[in-house]
Amino acid sequence: MAEGERRTAAIVVEDATKVIDGVTVLDGVSFAALPGRVTAFVGPNGAGKTTTLRAILGIDHLTSGRAIIGGRPFREHRRPVQVAGALLTPDAAHPRRTARGHLTVVAASNDLPRSAVDAALHLVGIADIADLPAGQMSLGMRQRLALGTALIGDPAVLILDEPHNGLDAGAIRWLRVILRELADGGRTVLVSTHLMTEIEAFCDDVVVIDQGRVVMAGPLGHFVGGESMEQRYLDMVEGG
Amino acid sequence: MRAAWRAELLKVATVRGQWLGAVIAMLALPAVSLLVAATGGLGTGDTVTSGAATGSVAGLLAFGIWAATVAAGEYAQQTMVVSLTTVPRRSVLFSAKLAAMGCIAAVGGLVSVVTAWLVVWAVLPTGVHHSGDPLALVSVVLAIVAVSVLGLAVGLMSKSPAASASIVVVAVLLPKAAGGLLGGLQRWVVGASPGTVITQAVGGAQLPHNQMFPGGAAAATVTMLLVATVVAVGGALTLLRRDG
Repeated sequence: MAEGERRTAAIVVEDATKVIDGVTVLDGVSFAALPGRVTAFVGPNGAGKTTTLRAILGIDHLTSGRAIIGGRPFREHRRPVQVAGALLTPDAAHPRRTARGHLTVVAASNDLPRSAVDAALHLVGIADIADLPAGQMSLGMRQRLALGTALIGDPAVLILDEPHNGLDAGAIRWLRVILRELADGGRTVLVSTHLMTEIEAFCDDVVVIDQGRVVMAGPLGHFVGGESMEQRYLDMVEGG
Repeated sequence: MRAAWRAELLKVATVRGQWLGAVIAMLALPAVSLLVAATGGLGTGDTVTSGAATGSVAGLLAFGIWAATVAAGEYAQQTMVVSLTTVPRRSVLFSAKLAAMGCIAAVGGLVSVVTAWLVVWAVLPTGVHHSGDPLALVSVVLAIVAVSVLGLAVGLMSKSPAASASIVVVAVLLPKAAGGLLGGLQRWVVGASPGTVITQAVGGAQLPHNQMFPGGAAAATVTMLLVATVVAVGGALTLLRRDG
């Protein structure tokens, strides 16, 4: 993938269906997350958000349909961390491994220079505790480390599953600013969250999923239509 | 592949418990051999080489359990998600894990047997025991690599450190313990088990005839490595099919 393409890769999910033990977890999910925009991926617990994100990243198989990044399945990219950075869990680092050690492993896996480790540590604001084992960090600090893992390759696409968990008010604002900046720089940002106020604050598009089906996908302005995000969302998924 | 392999080695190097585990595994064999030699446990027919190999089962168990717990630990600690997203090609990820584990086991095994030979040679009375053929200890290194690969594969398949460690213990100890129940298969199963492969290579005279692998020590070694390869393929297929 050329540098220009790398910074403008879209996420496309087409008719994604996943059946586990006879239960349809995803039922024909289709949407796109575009470069230069922050797309909020929302839905009740168990709606299929994490399964969709894992399918996009090739961690879970789809029963049918496809999920691609930059025109091809994620695992077909040669330098994956420069294509997509993912935050799926704050506990992604071994509890006995330091933040620096964790990022060093990630950098080595994709032939990134050592300077990328320091840059990521500074970017997510944990440089001063870089030599602390992840298990001794607070949830918020581990979340920052997980975000550093996602950002270390300066990827074209960011896929974040509930990145606000454990963050304090200042960190939430910091995350809002950084994600907005990344999108404004041409990146594709897909973020799953339950914080409706955050979606209103910095997202461009919304995809609502419920019981494995996309019930709405489009620009945030069309979705809220003058109401609060929270009210529109609850109307949609709870009918009330 | 080279980058992923380096990352796998770094994973071990950056967690104290993991590199310490490898060091302890490396010391297990010479420690037991030293104990046997120093307490007069060797017979007059034993050589320095067969004496050095007396701690082999301890070494096999230590390396196998270490490999299994390291591999399964990635699932238990949930860190596998990062491995799958940073090295999403499963074939590359598995090959990197296999190569890293194989390297650590080979180097660790080599250091183990050289140390064991030297300490046994140093503690045995001069002129009583022949040195034997130190090159026969290569079979110990190969057995350690085979058991480590087995540990890696079962760790990936079971995702459970406890279960995979138990499987390694059973795989190393059960063939010989249950050999009598196998009838005509005993020579094939027990003969190709890691501990017996080593005994055949360094001192076949100590084995009963019905536990000697048909074709001798070399054929037994090749069979053991083939079995480890088959289990490794099982681990690779599991990673491909189950984990996306």
